Amino acid sequence: MAGNFTRGIILEQRKEPALRRKLRTFLNANYAGMLFDSDLPYDGAALSGEQIIELAKLARIVDERDGVFLHEKLEKARQMKIEVVVGDAIDDEPYVSSQMNPLLFMQKETGEGLRLAAKAVGNPKIYFAIYKNLSDMDLKTKLPKDIDGVEIRRIHGRYPAEFRTMDDFDSDGPTVMIGVCSLIHLYRAVYEHRIQSTCFVTVAGGCVANPMNLEVSIGMTPTHLFERCGLAEDPGYVVIGGSMTGEICEDPDNYPVGTMSRAVLALRDEEKKRRYRCIGCGRCAEVCPENLTPFYINRYIELEKYQELAFYDIHRCIGCGTCSYICPAKIDIAENIKLAVAELRRRRRQKEGD
Amino acid sequence: MLQNEPKAPYVRNRDSAFTVMMDVVVALLPLYFMAFYFYGLRALMLGLASVAAAVISDLACVLLEGKRPYPRDISSVVTGMILPLMMSAATPYYVVVSASVFAIVLVKHVFGGVGQSAFNPAAAGFAFAAACWPSQVFSYPAPFSSPAPFGAITEGLASGPAWSLFQGGVPTNDILDLLLGKFLGPMGLTNILVLATCLFYLLFRGAIGWQAPAAFFGIMVVAMMLFPRIPESGPMSLVYESTAGMWIFGGIFMLNEPGTLPKRSSSRIAYGALAAIFTILFQRFGRVEQTFAFALLLTNVFGFTFDRYSERLLRRLRRVYLATRTKLSEKKSAQRA
Ligand code: SF4
Ligand code: SF4
Repeated sequence: MAGNFTRGIILEQRKEPALRRKLRTFLNANYAGMLFDSDLPYDGAALSGEQIIELAKLARIVDERDGVFLHEKLEKARQMKIEVVVGDAIDDEPYVSSQMNPLLFMQKETGEGLRLAAKAVGNPKIYFAIYKNLSDMDLKTKLPKDIDGVEIRRIHGRYPAEFRTMDDFDSDGPTVMIGVCSLIHLYRAVYEHRIQSTCFVTVAGGCVANPMNLEVSIGMTPTHLFERCGLAEDPGYVVIGGSMTGEICEDPDNYPVGTMSRAVLALRDEEKKRRYRCIGCGRCAEVCPENLTPFYINRYIELEKYQELAFYDIHRCIGCGTCSYICPAKIDIAENIKLAVAELRRRRRQKEGD
Repeated sequence: MLQNEPKAPYVRNRDSAFTVMMDVVVALLPLYFMAFYFYGLRALMLGLASVAAAVISDLACVLLEGKRPYPRDISSVVTGMILPLMMSAATPYYVVVSASVFAIVLVKHVFGGVGQSAFNPAAAGFAFAAACWPSQVFSYPAPFSSPAPFGAITEGLASGPAWSLFQGGVPTNDILDLLLGKFLGPMGLTNILVLATCLFYLLFRGAIGWQAPAAFFGIMVVAMMLFPRIPESGPMSLVYESTAGMWIFGGIFMLNEPGTLPKRSSSRIAYGALAAIFTILFQRFGRVEQTFAFALLLTNVFGFTFDRYSERLLRRLRRVYLATRTKLSEKKSAQRA
C-alpha cells in the first residue's frame, strides 16, 4: 500500500476499450512453419529446469520488458538463487494494455508459462503483477484475484509504477521480473516447439476506430495494424510505445513493429503549439518520482552549464516523463534531460578516448 | 521553447502557464471589486493604467531583447494588477505607472525575465514608489469619499491605522470596520475576509503551494500574538496588525510568485519563515509603515541559496538511503545463504 504515498502523477488510464476487447491475432503466412527441432517431449512436467531454458533458447524468446533473451535471464536468475519470479503485466502508461490483455485472455498459457519459468529458475514463489492506478475507475474490465491459480499482486500508487515494483517484492527475497508476453512464448516453446515470431501490441489512440490488442507477426508496420483496426481519422502523429515514454514514428509505412514496441498509438494533434517560458512554478520538482529538481536541471541544460548537472543527480533520472506531463509551460523537460545525458556520455567517452 | 513536433509524453496535463496565471488574475478581481466599492472609478482606472504600463513595457523589453513575444504570457498583467492595490487610491497616475515600468523593465527584465527574476517585480515596484513618493503612496482618502477618477488629489488625505501602529500607538478604528476593510489604507487589500477567500481559492486550485504561506502565516500570527508591538493584548494586536498591514496580501500574492519562490518544499518552508522574520524585524526597526515588500526583497536574495542547500541535503539523504538499502539486501541474502 505504500505506493499510495509515492510521488508522481495520477493519470487517466484510457486503456478501455482495448483492454476489454478480446485479444485478436494478425499473422502472416509464415507463422505456421515457425517451429524448431528438438527431441524433448512436449510436456512441461517431464522437463527439467535446464531443458526449459534450452527450449527458450531454441525459441529465441526475447523479454518484452527489457529486450533481454529469456534464456539468459532465466539462466542468470538460476545462478543468483532468485526466490521470487514475477510475471510483469504492469502496463502503467495510459492506452497501453498489451501485457494485461494477454494475461486476461490467455490465462492458461500465461499461468503455465510462469510455472515453467519458475521451474527453470528452481521453484521460487510466483506472482503476477498488475498496476492499480488511483483512478482506474474507468476500467470496465474486472480484474481477477488470480490467474490459473497464481496470485495477482497489485502495484498501487501513482505513475510511474513499473520502476518501483522491485521494491514491492523485495521483502519476499531476490526477485526477477519476466514480461507476460514472453511467458506465453515460453509456453509455446515447450508445448509446440514454436519459435517466437510474434509480439503483442496495443493499437489505440484517438484516431483509431476500434482500439484493441493484437498478436502480430514481428515486422509488420503500423500502417498494417491501422488497416486491421481501422482509422477514424488521419492521425496527427504515430507513436511507438507508451504515451508517456514512446517515440514518434516518422515512417509508419516501413517501421517494423517488434517485441519491444508494446503499443502503436495514432494520436490526434490536438495540443496547440503554444510557446511558453518556464514560469518557475516548481511543479516538476513536486512530482518527480526520483525526487530530483527538474527545474534546475532543465535550466542548466538551457544555459549549457553541463558541469552543474552532476550536482543535481541527473543520472538518476529514469526518463518517465512525469515532469514534462505536469509542466504548465509545456516544456519538454524529460526530452531535454535525455539529450543532455547522451551529451554527457559522449563527452566522457571523448575524454577517455584522449 | 518552440514546439515543432510533439515529444514524449504525448498526454499532458491540462493546466498551462496561462491557466495558472489566470487563476491569480481571477483571485485579484474581487480585490478590485472591493477597491471599486470603496473608492469608485479611480481604483479601476489606476489598475488599468498600471496593467497597461506593465504589458507595454514587457512587450517592449521582449522585442528589444530580440525575442519573439509570448502572447499567452500574462505574468506582466499580474504584476500590473498587484501594484496599485498596495497604494492609496489617491496615488497620482504617474506614480503607479512609473512603479509598474520600474518593476517590469528594471527588475523583471534586467534580472532575467519570467520565472528567472531574482527579485519579485511587484514588491520592487512598490518599494520603488514608497521610497520615491512616500507622501503620495501612504496618504489615504477616506472610503466612500469618491475621489475624482482623474487628476491629482491633494485634499482630505490622511494616514491610516498602519501609521499609528508604526508610531507604537493603538489605532482608534472600530474593530468591525477594521475587519470589513472600511478604514484608511491601501485601496485593495483592506478586507481581510476577501483576502482569506482568495488564499483558499488559490490553494484549492493548486495555483500556489501550501508550504511558503503556511510557514509565513504561522510565524507571523504567533509573533503578533505573543509579542505585540503596541500596548494591547495579543489577539487585539493580531487584529490590528493583520488588517492594517500589507503582509496578508503579500503572503498570498507576492510571496508565492513562482519566479522567485524556491522550488523544493523544504526550502519553501524556510523561505516563508525567513520572510516572516524579516517582516517582523522591519516592523520593529524599519523606517516605513508598510514593511512587507522590503522584507520580501531581502528574502528573495536567499531563495536560490535555500534551494541549493536543500538539494545538497537531498543528495546526502539519497545516498544514505541507497547505501542502507544495498546493505540491508546484502545482509538478507547473506542470512539466506
Ligand atoms: S523524467 Fe526524470 S526528471 Fe522528469 S520526472 Fe521522471 S525521473 Fe524526474
Ligand atoms: S513545471 Fe515547468 S514551468 Fe514549472 S518550474 Fe518546472 S519547468 Fe518551470
